[in-house]
Amino acid sequence: MPLLELSKVAKYFGKLQAVADLDLKVEAGEVRSLIGPNGAGKTTVFNLITGSLPPSSGSIVFNGEDITRLEPHVVAQKGIARSFQQTFLFTHLTALENVLIGFHMACRAGALREFLHTRSAKKVDDECRLKALEIIEFMGLSGAAHELAANLPHGHQRALGVSMALACNPTLLLLDEPVTGMNPTETAEMVERIRKIRGSGVTVILVEHDMRVVMDVSDQITVLSYGSKIAEGLPAEIRDNKDVIQAYLGKEEL
Amino acid sequence: MSKVRIAGGSVLALLLAFMPLLVNNYVLQIFLLTITYAILGLSFALTLKVGLPRFDVAAWWGVGAYTTAMLMLKTGMSFWLATLIGGAISVLLGWLVFSVAIPRGMMVFLLFGMVLVLAFQQLFGTIPFFGGWGGTEVTPQPTIGSFTFANKTELYYMGLFFLGVTVVVYRLLYNSKIGRAWNAVGSSVKLASSLGINVVRYRLANVLIGNFFIAIAGSYLVAYTLVAVPDTFSFANSVYVMMYVVVGGLTHVLVGPLIGAVVITFIPEYLRVAKQFEPIITAVAIILIIILLPYGFLGFYDRRVKPWFVRKGWQGTRPDRQSEKTAATLLEIGRD
Repeated sequence: MPLLELSKVAKYFGKLQAVADLDLKVEAGEVRSLIGPNGAGKTTVFNLITGSLPPSSGSIVFNGEDITRLEPHVVAQKGIARSFQQTFLFTHLTALENVLIGFHMACRAGALREFLHTRSAKKVDDECRLKALEIIEFMGLSGAAHELAANLPHGHQRALGVSMALACNPTLLLLDEPVTGMNPTETAEMVERIRKIRGSGVTVILVEHDMRVVMDVSDQITVLSYGSKIAEGLPAEIRDNKDVIQAYLGKEEL
Repeated sequence: MSKVRIAGGSVLALLLAFMPLLVNNYVLQIFLLTITYAILGLSFALTLKVGLPRFDVAAWWGVGAYTTAMLMLKTGMSFWLATLIGGAISVLLGWLVFSVAIPRGMMVFLLFGMVLVLAFQQLFGTIPFFGGWGGTEVTPQPTIGSFTFANKTELYYMGLFFLGVTVVVYRLLYNSKIGRAWNAVGSSVKLASSLGINVVRYRLANVLIGNFFIAIAGSYLVAYTLVAVPDTFSFANSVYVMMYVVVGGLTHVLVGPLIGAVVITFIPEYLRVAKQFEPIITAVAIILIIILLPYGFLGFYDRRVKPWFVRKGWQGTRPDRQSEKTAATLLEIGRD
């Protein structure tokens, strides 16, 4: 059974069809890339999965459970985390504090015990802090852990966005253009990390424009154009697919 | 805690404890009002933290006052029990109203707040049971056993008790997981949601907690004025609360409202010599403060005064960055 299954999912904004009758099956443990020219509906698909937008029709099933109409925070609690295309961060907090908020779900000392600052609450808090620091180190942000998020360079900010999603301990990680604006070194590091994330058992869906990254890290690729799926398969198949090249003509190099 | 903080805190605590010996009765009376406004201001700041500016402070202030007054008058109930019930009713009514309003976003919440204030004031004034626009009958003074809270000094200490509880509870909340969630919600609803934070639930809890303490402030008002009058619980007073919180400074969500409350109760008093010009002068003073010190007194301190000290090597406290961001956002909205 696939980990995530979208069946005949469609999204209309008035008369504009952003996503048309999409069928998508993502297996547990794979890295799936979602590609397509701008406006193809990729971020919309992410928003539909996380519940930020309700689909006009169709169903979304995650881990055997229908999550189609659930609210974003419930979907997050079910184990789906995402990073955003725009850099969404708590700008007035340090990098570490940003990640700690991600742990909000994982660390439950019980609201009353937390309120009274009992010793057990403090212990849970310390554990969270340690785990948050682990994630920060994994994402290469150790030096910047106590910097205000607003002061971080762009590449670090995007890495921080991914860190926060990781802090939620997700089963499925949706990464929306994680390497945009990164230099080649940072990009290569991110690719390595995505591999390691997959290695730890997390399923990843990646929206990316950087084709080298996509070809490098994906197990399978799904191609969207104007809201419809036009191709799906292994990286090698997609690379030579005429429809895909057509859709991207004048926009990207494969 | 640094030595400066401990020293400063102790001096302040001593001042507060011995205030009745240091000032005359008239000034002490002003302090009673200051304490009331302080609790209201702290509660406004509490809800502002989750990105909700509340215009309904005066409404729940009235609910607390009227509930306490009516229970004492009609049933002879003790002040303390009546106060608790006032708080409970404020929370219950708030839950009914805000369960509907909060899921619909900040603008709906804001408008609901305005309507609530106007509606409640009308209710208090027109329903004969509450005594009409002249207000309730005179309530009995609060007692504990055979001890009566009659003079200003006794009421002052009662006020300090209420204020103390409010500050302690709010501080514990702010430093807990709930406080962190509130920070996240206030900063970015979308981001907080995506991290699994139930924004509506945390906002609702925040508003209802505020409701409780706002009602307590109403009960305290009855304790020293011995009456509840509809005029007090006006839209103007709601806005007044917002105003002095801004004056005090949004950078420190606990201290700002306290400073604002002191400023806003003492300026008009000392301007009394100007007689009929006093309201104009107060208004101008407040406008000047908001223009010249957009981040309030504490903001000014954080930005101009403290850096001066820091350059001399002094550490000092960290401003509440979350509130600084809220302040910045509000100023931006104001500028548009």
